[in-house]
Amino acid sequence: MLALIYFIVLAIIAVGSAVCVLLSRHPLYGALSLVLSMVSLAGIYGLLGSPFLGVVQVMVYAGAIMMLLTFVIMVLNGARDSKTPMFDKVSVFVIPAVLVLAGLVGFALVRSPIAFDAATVRGSVSITSKTLFDVAQTGPGYFVLFEVLGVLLLSAMGAAVLLAKKRLGSVDTEKTEDNH
Amino acid sequence: MISLWLIPLFPLLGCILLGAIAVISSGSRKGPAEGFVGALAVLFPALSFLSVALLALDMPEAGIRETLCNWIDIPMFRVEFGFLFDGLSRIMLLFVTGIGTLITLYSTGYMHGDRGFARYFAYINLFLFSMIVLVLSDNLLLTFLGWEGVGLCSYLLIGFWNKDLKNCQAANKAFIVNRVGDIGFILGMLCLVTIGGSAILNYDALMNFIQMIINGNHLDLVVPFLSVAGILFFIGCTGKSAQIPLLTWLPDAMAGPTPVSALIHAATMVTSGVYLLARLASMFAILPVVLNIILIIGMLTAFWAAVAGLFQNDIKKVLAYSTISQLGYMFMASGVCAFDASIFHVFTHAFFKAALFLGAGAVIHALAGEQDMRKMGGLLKKTPVTSCVMIFAFLAIVGFPGFAGFWSKDLILERIYTNCTMALPAFTFFGAEVPSIQLNSIIYMVGLATAVITAVYMGRLIILTFFGSYRGSKESEEHIHEAPASMLIPMVILAFGAVFAGYFWADSIGIKFFADTLAPVVGSAQAYNASAVTIHVNPMVFAAFGTLAALGGMFIAYKIYANARIPAAKGSSAPEGRKATWTFLFDSIHKYVGIIPVNVLAWICDVVVDKILAAAQWTIGAIATILGDGAASFQVRKVRVQVALSIVGLIALVAIVLLTGGTL
Amino acid sequence: MELQAIYVQILALVIFAIGLIVAVSRRNVFFVLMGVELALNAVNLSFVGFAKTLPNDLSVVGQIVPLFSIAIAAAEACVGLAMVILIFRNRESVDADTYSNMKG
Repeated sequence: MLALIYFIVLAIIAVGSAVCVLLSRHPLYGALSLVLSMVSLAGIYGLLGSPFLGVVQVMVYAGAIMMLLTFVIMVLNGARDSKTPMFDKVSVFVIPAVLVLAGLVGFALVRSPIAFDAATVRGSVSITSKTLFDVAQTGPGYFVLFEVLGVLLLSAMGAAVLLAKKRLGSVDTEKTEDNH
Repeated sequence: MISLWLIPLFPLLGCILLGAIAVISSGSRKGPAEGFVGALAVLFPALSFLSVALLALDMPEAGIRETLCNWIDIPMFRVEFGFLFDGLSRIMLLFVTGIGTLITLYSTGYMHGDRGFARYFAYINLFLFSMIVLVLSDNLLLTFLGWEGVGLCSYLLIGFWNKDLKNCQAANKAFIVNRVGDIGFILGMLCLVTIGGSAILNYDALMNFIQMIINGNHLDLVVPFLSVAGILFFIGCTGKSAQIPLLTWLPDAMAGPTPVSALIHAATMVTSGVYLLARLASMFAILPVVLNIILIIGMLTAFWAAVAGLFQNDIKKVLAYSTISQLGYMFMASGVCAFDASIFHVFTHAFFKAALFLGAGAVIHALAGEQDMRKMGGLLKKTPVTSCVMIFAFLAIVGFPGFAGFWSKDLILERIYTNCTMALPAFTFFGAEVPSIQLNSIIYMVGLATAVITAVYMGRLIILTFFGSYRGSKESEEHIHEAPASMLIPMVILAFGAVFAGYFWADSIGIKFFADTLAPVVGSAQAYNASAVTIHVNPMVFAAFGTLAALGGMFIAYKIYANARIPAAKGSSAPEGRKATWTFLFDSIHKYVGIIPVNVLAWICDVVVDKILAAAQWTIGAIATILGDGAASFQVRKVRVQVALSIVGLIALVAIVLLTGGTL
Repeated sequence: MELQAIYVQILALVIFAIGLIVAVSRRNVFFVLMGVELALNAVNLSFVGFAKTLPNDLSVVGQIVPLFSIAIAAAEACVGLAMVILIFRNRESVDADTYSNMKG
């Protein structure tokens, strides 16, 4: 019963802040609402019995990614443009379409017989790390995948640096500098 | 013991080296040093000849077989890269490399000062390589490799002076006409493979296969198939050896340098057809229909070309037609299953024809490029050595007693008379019963008549060129000079060959060396047909007839041309009027049978098929355009709209899954 | 009344729908990125929710996959923001509709 109350509170915060993202005019407000939504999702993870995942969500998503996003928004001064309307014809078309889609999927979900299993494993740090790094275990191993993911992150970092750095000596760069 | 693969390796090395020199020096103005290039060019064929000679001296009776490596090895088809050195390839190789070396030596003098000096010798070496592969290989496919190689070199060398459009056209003609024959060769090989699998392409295997058929009395089963294969191979041979109907390229091939004409179009390449017939002797021996076709074609070719030779004014064209005529003799011999006699004639013919061509080259060299016989005359005093060589070779080709041609040509005529079993079947002619006619004497008479005509046109050539008085312009007369030593030495050696080569098989005086060495290869094939021989005539009678023909022809030539007033030379050396009709008989036949139908077909393709295709193409294009334009109208500038549309698509999919319960 | 598995899924669906609407209907490129992040979060929640309906060892898998998905989202955000900086520098606009260089 208590879990349900917690869940309802967290769900209301999450959905509410998601709607704030949709309706906010300045990207910075949107980003802050998004952080709130993510933190409440992390709470729901903990509620569901995956505390490790919840911590990762707070650290990586709400911490790193959103910090990066906020940082970029603040660096690019012109991010807020009052000329661009918030919604246009496409939005009028998209919102009902997405609602219909959600309705259909929700209909399918409601009819499906799913329920929590009593013998489920709590996603603690020890279990997660054992699953990830124990090469000798019989089940599917994630070790190689984990390493590949590390390489992917490294290359993404390299690509980001290459993309975003200023082209030294290029005329365009100089001009852009002046305009700002 | 020398390995067999060394023999083709030397000219190949020479070709690569000289080709590299030619390519490197193509930029420089002066070109490579001629002495160095000439020495290299002669060295490699000479090394090849040396190894052949060493091998030939101690060849075992059964020959040497050597498999170099695996060539093609796929399921159902397996061919080895193997060489076979036996009696037949020994003789062919000896004169291919020997005469090749001599002619290369001659070329160093003849091509002196030419811009493409190194290129020329690279081609010559490539040609020798291909010819050696052709002769030395132990299976049909490898022979075909050499067969194509000599065709390619023939093309390259005919069009050697490629600044002149006419030379290029002659080269194209030779190449294309040869292609027609090559298709016959390929289809023939396919026929054989269909009958006996890829193993049968090996000559030994083919011989065993034929022997097995004969022993097992299965002739009725395979002879129809083998006849088809035999005819196809024969078509290949007519292309390479310039027989009816694929002979029009050889006279045009005289556009190349004269040593090339001597080497390729007289001594070696054109004999590869005869070589192939002899190589497949065991197969042809059991195919009487094909043998009769070969005999008739050979007879017609010999006679027609001899008459055409009478009408030519160009000294090289006379020799070209005489080559065709002599090749006709060889095919006649093959047609009566006398393969050893035909190879013997190939052997002697190589000597005297090469000598004749080289002599003609020396004459052309002396007259600074003049080829029209009507502008020559009286050269006997000015160029005595050349004249003597030419006259010896002339005596050899007409079959003067004691000279090379006498032994080989009379042998062929004798074999035609004794071996030929062809007969016209009995038929009813206007109600009268005509009995079956034996054709051997008729064919013999045609052969003899051809010998007479040969003597006439060769006599005409000698008389017009070397006797009488000089008919060219005064200033050109002063420049006439004897050829340099590098040209004279090969000519003199070949003249010796022309005189003495016949004594390898002088039947009348009991020397049978040549027949013995060929016996392991073609002996069984000839023995198979020898049972048909019923007539026994004293060989001296044939010798007498042959001598009579030669002397008669020479007498006629003397009577007609010695004191005749030669018509003044006009602009072109080509024959005119009725003579042209006869000379270009097969060119016009080709025109009406081959070229015009193809042109009509091409016109139909151009006008009708092309339009239909264009319409179909246009229709498909229009449909694609309409579809594309329709699809493009959905494509809008905004990515978001596209995503929105895809969401709608997703909705449709989910709806379908839900409605059908996921069982669709 | 207890917490039901279906509630979690409904919540995930709602957040996913909102994320999709934000990503598609907003024209500001930052909102597009944020919408994508929102939708990714919803999918992660759905993973965890389903994982809890499975017995024992199988449920671990459902909690590992969101880990990877978070890591990939980090890489995606990293490259995506770098591209936004690059494009903004060249075009001086955050309107996603003006990025139409690739139109045929």
